[in-house]
Amino acid sequence: MKDIPRFAATLTFVALIAAGSLAWINKITKPKILTQQQNELKNALSYVLPGTDEGTIVAIEEEGEILYYEGYRDRNKTHLVGYAFLVLSKGYSSTIRTLVGIDSAGTILAIRILSQKETPGLGTRCEEIRSGETTSWWQDQFSCKKSTEISVDKDGGEIQSITGATITSRAITSGIAQRATKIFQIIKNHR
Amino acid sequence: MILGKEFAKGIYKDNPVFRLMLGLCPVLAVSSSVNNAIGMGSAATFVLVSSNFVISLIRNFVPPKIRIPIFITVIATFVTIVELVMAGFFPTLSKSLGLFIPLIVVNCIILGRAEAFASKNHILSSVVDGLGMGFGFTLALVIIATFREIFGNGTWLGISVFGPRFEPVLLMILSPGAFLTIGFLIAFFNWLENRRLVSH
Repeated sequence: MKDIPRFAATLTFVALIAAGSLAWINKITKPKILTQQQNELKNALSYVLPGTDEGTIVAIEEEGEILYYEGYRDRNKTHLVGYAFLVLSKGYSSTIRTLVGIDSAGTILAIRILSQKETPGLGTRCEEIRSGETTSWWQDQFSCKKSTEISVDKDGGEIQSITGATITSRAITSGIAQRATKIFQIIKNHR
Repeated sequence: MILGKEFAKGIYKDNPVFRLMLGLCPVLAVSSSVNNAIGMGSAATFVLVSSNFVISLIRNFVPPKIRIPIFITVIATFVTIVELVMAGFFPTLSKSLGLFIPLIVVNCIILGRAEAFASKNHILSSVVDGLGMGFGFTLALVIIATFREIFGNGTWLGISVFGPRFEPVLLMILSPGAFLTIGFLIAFFNWLENRRLVSH
């Protein structure tokens, strides 16, 4: 029992070293990670709003929060390609972040899943790219569908669910339909 | 201590999955495709070698009664460091392997080797043991994933094996398929070992 102070001291020392190393590594990698995320978002925006680039995309904000993005074909911002917005879905084991691009009629141009931590081999197939192809087959299905009305095949819709990953598929699909409906309201209020 | 033997034992004689039966949880979860298997195996090997190194380094300063919390702290710290460094400096690698890194903390092989070997042997042996065990783990994962991916998805490393008309056995991709595959493989290796012993 007189070992307890010695044990406590040793454990505290080890924990201090561990915490210190982690704090240091975190400090070094934080700016890099932030840059990666920003780059990823930029790439995703150009992908879901085809024909746009960094100079032709405008973020529409309210009280410091980005509501949605407007994408134009030209720098003068006269030819509207469409809108892009973020969808947060409660997946099977993680929050799934998806960027959705729609045209002014609400038809989906493209989607890109930004982050997810679903079950490897099942839910993660939402980002799977088949050999010989360049885009995710599951996400490609969303293009040209009506954003406010999509649902998975199990709910009578057109989106083919991933085998063995119904929850993931449904979460993303219904998340997009719900958010798209809200975004339409928000866009109307802003114009 | 012949280093070659230390390395080789992790591959067959003391294979962490088929003989020591450690780390079966992530093995079941991640062996559904060969690509995932290679990713998990590589990441786990890196953490195993690093933690074996550090634990062997501090082995004379660790009071035996509190060794487990200390080992776990070391292992979890390494896993987090790997996660952060990969996210910051190797973004493409992080995208493909990123999912497997947090899973490594619960991989019993790491704690198992720390306890059984690294805490009692010098640094070089511990590193080689880590490499051998890691390689054996990766090999086991790839063998299991080969069966599961070919029969459960019709592909190997994403390349179609049977052609478009193949009806995949969904069971193989799910947990029961994993259990069955691992069970049969363990039975096979046990049978191999019995034959080897009998013929001596």
